[in-house]
Amino acid sequence: MKPVDELVLEDGAYQHRTMFWNEDIYEAELEHIFSRAWLFLTHESLIPEAGDYNTTRMGEDKVIVIRQQDGSIRAFINSCRHRGNTVCHADAGNTRQFTCSYHGWSYGSNGELIGVPLEQDAYFNQIDKSKFGLQEIAQVASYKGMVFGTFDASAPDLETYLGDMRWYMDSFLDVPGGIELIGPPMKSILNCNWKTPAENFGGDDYHFGWTHAAGVAVMGGPLEMLAGNTGVPNEVGFQVGSSYGHIFGFIEGGAAALQPFPEWREMYDNWLNSRLPGQEEKFGPLQARFYKGHWNANIFPNCSFLYGTNTFKVWQPRGPRAIEVYTWTLVEKEMPAELKQMMHRSNAATFGTAGMLESDDGENFEECTQTNRGFNTRQGYCHAGMGQQNEGPHPDMPGVISDNLMAETGLRNFYRTWARMVNGDDWTQIGAPATAPLKKLRAV
Amino acid sequence: MADQTQPSTGSTQAGQPVDQQTHFEIERFMVREARLLDQDRLHEWLELLAPDIRYQLPVQEVRYRKDTQPIGSATGTYIFDDDYKLLEMRVNRMDTNLVWFEDPKTSSRRLITNIDAEWSEQAGEIDAYSTFLTYRNRRQSDETWLVGAREDRLRKTDQGWRLVNRVILLDQRVVQDKNLHLFL
Ligand code: FES
Ligand SMILES: [Fe+2]
Repeated sequence: MKPVDELVLEDGAYQHRTMFWNEDIYEAELEHIFSRAWLFLTHESLIPEAGDYNTTRMGEDKVIVIRQQDGSIRAFINSCRHRGNTVCHADAGNTRQFTCSYHGWSYGSNGELIGVPLEQDAYFNQIDKSKFGLQEIAQVASYKGMVFGTFDASAPDLETYLGDMRWYMDSFLDVPGGIELIGPPMKSILNCNWKTPAENFGGDDYHFGWTHAAGVAVMGGPLEMLAGNTGVPNEVGFQVGSSYGHIFGFIEGGAAALQPFPEWREMYDNWLNSRLPGQEEKFGPLQARFYKGHWNANIFPNCSFLYGTNTFKVWQPRGPRAIEVYTWTLVEKEMPAELKQMMHRSNAATFGTAGMLESDDGENFEECTQTNRGFNTRQGYCHAGMGQQNEGPHPDMPGVISDNLMAETGLRNFYRTWARMVNGDDWTQIGAPATAPLKKLRAV
Repeated sequence: MADQTQPSTGSTQAGQPVDQQTHFEIERFMVREARLLDQDRLHEWLELLAPDIRYQLPVQEVRYRKDTQPIGSATGTYIFDDDYKLLEMRVNRMDTNLVWFEDPKTSSRRLITNIDAEWSEQAGEIDAYSTFLTYRNRRQSDETWLVGAREDRLRKTDQGWRLVNRVILLDQRVVQDKNLHLFL
């Protein structure tokens, strides 16, 4: 593996292509990113009752996330402490205990080892069960219903980790009644490196009008002007890079833009307009504008969402060249059932496994990874230099902000954080503000 | 459920197997539908759909047998949950010639089998069951197989049989493919 300062160059603008292929680099990611960063686990609404659980993964580690008797949520590595078998094979359920299918050790919902077959006859009562509880995830916390976990006991708390992104996300997470995810998630496979969809969802508005030209053309609506990438009114939005590597691209007023039919856009717009005054009162107009805009976003490292289109994803790494894609639908809890169902249907039709726009992306993501099979091909660098001279801090909003919608500001922010983490930097350095120098301020 | 090993009794009561002529028509419908899809004759395929169609592929979770919602239970989330307008939009999108990843195009072959049909509680409508084995091949050597079942409601109209409802059951919790950009 090359030294990190040869992998990511020029403030995040170049990434060595082995980063999307190499096993050693992937191992370094598992150790330094997926074992340290806060990773999305589930939403509280999906495990509402005591004993409700979901299984998922953190990096390549299988985990169980389970609601405790006292209402708190804890998470454990889903592997038996005896010989290592998987303890729970279900996606979800409700239980008081998990029993291993190999020799029958059983664990309580708090992870404690509570049952060992033949404890007297075979172990002569000499096994200290308190030493063999399921390995617990060091920190688990919720932010407005979103449950995250980290293996790193020394990681900053979740609120700190969400950094600048929190100021923006509060505009839609902090609505009356809160938000929820409609699950269970769809799951599918993509033969690509996990970073490619993360950077794409988080910061690539450049691809939108081209990759998705067909979908945008048939759906019509306010984003139709982007189809074909012929001309782009840049005032339409901007990119944001947050501390700790989170990123998003923002389209002014565009939340409902990717709903496929005018009637659906109208139904959703009406809802947003009915809630906007409350959000403005709570947050002020500058922050509340993010409630009505469309977001493409990535919470570092691998949790992406499109607010407005309301798809919510985790890109679970499976080696450097494949991922599992989990897809939920994000809705406000107080939306009428009819609107929630519409959201789920439009998400499935656009960014679900059979989604028209999801399908457009998949092939590109896979090829961006698979071309690196060529030894000579992967000696080069990928480029994300767009708009590098036209971004900087803003007087009233946190993070690094681009002058316009078409900018790779987010990609650079993502890869700067990637480099700091893989380098093993300490948390104060990882969370330091982006280094991009102030070039020009845009009045927004 | 009626004793399916017996020949049709001629009854058109709900749950009774359809008569031989009807079975023949249903089988022809499905084979023809598969051919239209294999040949990308998507607008002709749309003509086989009733205007009030619901076309669904539910997400199925992996759950323990003892669970109150074991595998096969309705989870309420879908990979497809389309009405006619959404299906038509998917077809119209292909007409734009802007779907880059379908150029060069993906080939697909649908093998439809295990067809069974019985009268429904609705006069003139039958419930049809079938299984599919669908092969896709794209670019140089990208290939996948999809195996599953379909539970259809078909309605007899003056123009022939029309698909009113389809529930696709795909036997993969994690879809072993990058998309389901096809009609099953
Ligand atoms: S491996 Fe789980 S009980 Fe032996
Ligand atoms: Fe995309």
